[in-house]
Amino acid sequence: MSEEKTSFNIHPMDQFVIEPLLMGDKLQWYSFTNQTLWMLISLVAISLVFIVGPRKHQLIPGRFQSVAELVYFFIRDMIVEIAGQEGLRYFPYIFTLFIFILFGNVLGLLPYSFTYTSHIAITGFLALTVFLAVTIIGFVKNGLGFLKLFWIGSAPLALRPVLLIIELISYFVRPISHSIRLAGNMMAGHAVIKVFAGFAGAMGIGAIAPIFAITAVYGLEMLVVVIQAYVFTILTCVYLNDALHPGH
Amino acid sequence: MASNNSSHAEGMPQLDFATFPNQIFWMVVFCVVLFIIVKIFIIPRMEDIFANRRKVIDGSISKAEEIKQRVKEIELQIEKELSEAKAECNNILQTSNDVMKSQINLALEDSKKATAELIQEAEKRLKVLRDGSDESIKKLSDELVSEIINKVTATK
Repeated sequence: MSEEKTSFNIHPMDQFVIEPLLMGDKLQWYSFTNQTLWMLISLVAISLVFIVGPRKHQLIPGRFQSVAELVYFFIRDMIVEIAGQEGLRYFPYIFTLFIFILFGNVLGLLPYSFTYTSHIAITGFLALTVFLAVTIIGFVKNGLGFLKLFWIGSAPLALRPVLLIIELISYFVRPISHSIRLAGNMMAGHAVIKVFAGFAGAMGIGAIAPIFAITAVYGLEMLVVVIQAYVFTILTCVYLNDALHPGH
Repeated sequence: MASNNSSHAEGMPQLDFATFPNQIFWMVVFCVVLFIIVKIFIIPRMEDIFANRRKVIDGSISKAEEIKQRVKEIELQIEKELSEAKAECNNILQTSNDVMKSQINLALEDSKKATAELIQEAEKRLKVLRDGSDESIKKLSDELVSEIINKVTATK
């Protein structure tokens, strides 16, 4: 805080800094950080929406229960649609993944909150887990037949080696694109809002323009957070489908 | 690097690898807890709601099917009764028609007989009258002839 207090004092990346809140000032692997706090908050929010909301088991759902049902059956139908009935076995994992990301994204839009999904460590770990799980499921379910995913039977023979290389590269790039897409979207949106907010602080009466921009970007971000959670989940389903039915 | 409270972030805090063990540790903890919550509380609850709703819907559908069947039966019954009633009506019409026809015939025959008798009687009387008139004409002409003769003879 001791730096020059001049016009542009914008630090859009500050909001992503991980700080220990409990258990000492120094960050240890077990420290309870601001990120941990927001994971806890999202856990509580999930419990509120999905356990307290539909507690009455209404036949005709109220508002609260409708939201829970909508999210639940949206993901359930998506898995069946993309990966077929066998995909439903993995529904608990995919649903956990979706609500963990969704609530992280949405709660991250609150002022002064921390968006844990904007961290590449989080999304990268999730994407790697998905990648490993899908690869293991593919080999367990199909044995070496899983390799047909890379050796495309419907293409002309001459093209197959080329396609093999392309498919292999795209397969191993999956966890990277999968994780950076989510973290990048979350980080960029929040940073943009912060930058505009910094402009607003420096512009006096002219701040009306950046404030308008913040409102617009915020509206866009509301869309983006849900869509990115959805994209992460639907891609997981697509990868799962590849593992269950590798023959294209 | 960026783990101090007071300093501003340099570059991207996301790439501060010193924080990775902490982030991943807590994320695994929360994901496992969340998975347990999903598995124990959320999925049974939602599936329960869904199954209940399905049961009610299936029950209503089967009830509707039953009612439909009953409606069909009732319709059949109505049709049957209607055709029976029609047949009976036709029957009644036929018999009353027959009765009426026979009565009319009877009456017609009676009146025919009566007219025939009347005609016979009239003819008889006519005959009597004609016979009578013949005689009186003869008598009259006889008288007339004798009177003419008388007159002719008297003048001479």
